[in-house]
Amino acid sequence: MAKEITAQENGTILFDHHHDGVDRRGFLKCMAWAGTGALCVMEGGVLKSYGLGDPAHIAKQAKGELSFVQISDSHMGFNKAANPDVVSTLQAAVSKINSLPVEPEFMLHTGDISHLSKSSEFDTVDQILRSAKPKDVFFVPGEHDVLEDDGAQYRERYGKDTKGSGWYSFDKKGVHFVGLVNVMNLKAGGMGSLGGEQLEWLEDDVKHLSKSTPVVVFAHMPLWNIYPDWGWGTEDSAQALSYLKRFGSVTVLNGHIHQTMQKVEGNVTFHTATSTAFPQPRPGAAPSPGPMKVPAEQLRALLGVTDVNYMRHRHALAVIDSTLE
Amino acid sequence: MKERSGALGIAAVVVLGLAVAAGAQRTMAAGAEAAPNGSEITIDNFMFTPATLTVKVGTPITWTNRDDIPHTVVSDDKTFKSRALDTDEKFTFTPAKPGTYTYFCSIHPKMVGKIVVVQ
Repeated sequence: MAKEITAQENGTILFDHHHDGVDRRGFLKCMAWAGTGALCVMEGGVLKSYGLGDPAHIAKQAKGELSFVQISDSHMGFNKAANPDVVSTLQAAVSKINSLPVEPEFMLHTGDISHLSKSSEFDTVDQILRSAKPKDVFFVPGEHDVLEDDGAQYRERYGKDTKGSGWYSFDKKGVHFVGLVNVMNLKAGGMGSLGGEQLEWLEDDVKHLSKSTPVVVFAHMPLWNIYPDWGWGTEDSAQALSYLKRFGSVTVLNGHIHQTMQKVEGNVTFHTATSTAFPQPRPGAAPSPGPMKVPAEQLRALLGVTDVNYMRHRHALAVIDSTLE
Repeated sequence: MKERSGALGIAAVVVLGLAVAAGAQRTMAAGAEAAPNGSEITIDNFMFTPATLTVKVGTPITWTNRDDIPHTVVSDDKTFKSRALDTDEKFTFTPAKPGTYTYFCSIHPKMVGKIVVVQ
């Protein structure tokens, strides 16, 4: 029997449930720290989570109408002690993707593609990603991708058909995807920020959708306040989420914190992905959120990719984290 | 001023040593008079140290990033703005007039600091 992951087991409770008319069983307090990994599936309005110790069960769950993969925080150019070789760990992530039992239709990269916004860093990532079986990659920028030029180079490379600082939406097999930018024009003392123009666009973008449309929102910084002391959140995310309240199934995918974490609030499932480059400490577990050095043999257990499957008949998006080991 | 003396009094009780309290007082006085030569601010663990620095007009202030992650130094009013500083990279700003500058890291905006420039 698959092992159920609970927040308590991981020593921290981040669950924060607001009653808003949603089936009270329809929430999940599943949270997995980097390296443990969890599969989360909604069945008949009840969300269940399973540890990754049961591959056969996962393979059964992973079959759906749409499969895609999320990678994040490749930080190409980083070369410090926490991982002196971010090239080979990104390559390992691509190998992992290429060996998934169900070939993903596309990839999402949730930002911090580069470490210092250098052309050579973006070039290296592009070259590695070309060896992935899924050919389409959808990006949103991290703060490390827009360091020097307000993101002009980023948009030239990855956001040609996007709005504003790089936000956009698209549809795949009945699922509506929204890529948001929350790393621009950050204010002193604050966290991530979407800004008025993007919020207006979002409200308009989802207005025409029927409430049964599954919605996937992806952005670099978390769209829920994980740990404001470290800036792990987005100032105006509540406004964005208010436009998504009427939908039956909303999945929010983020990067930035270099570890997996999940929360379900009403109809919204939040999920953060691991990095392919280096781990970061658990919230408050270190003086700062900087790169965390672990013994070399443990590093790949703390890096990884996220596989997401949509099963129409189950009205669910199953999120599976895999480490690079 | 009265409040400040009170705070110092409490500090003295807490540390149970008048010498320490006197030392703190001297540091404050030196700060108010401003360091005569260049002044250094370090970035460690996503923090500017010292968080508040008082200098005389024309004193170069140099920030050094000692973290494994890049940071920037940007004043709220954009009077000064560094490029992204990688590990061990430096940025220098020399204030030309008195005033108070609050600044932050535009990549990690929870990181904030203050420069007080006196004549």
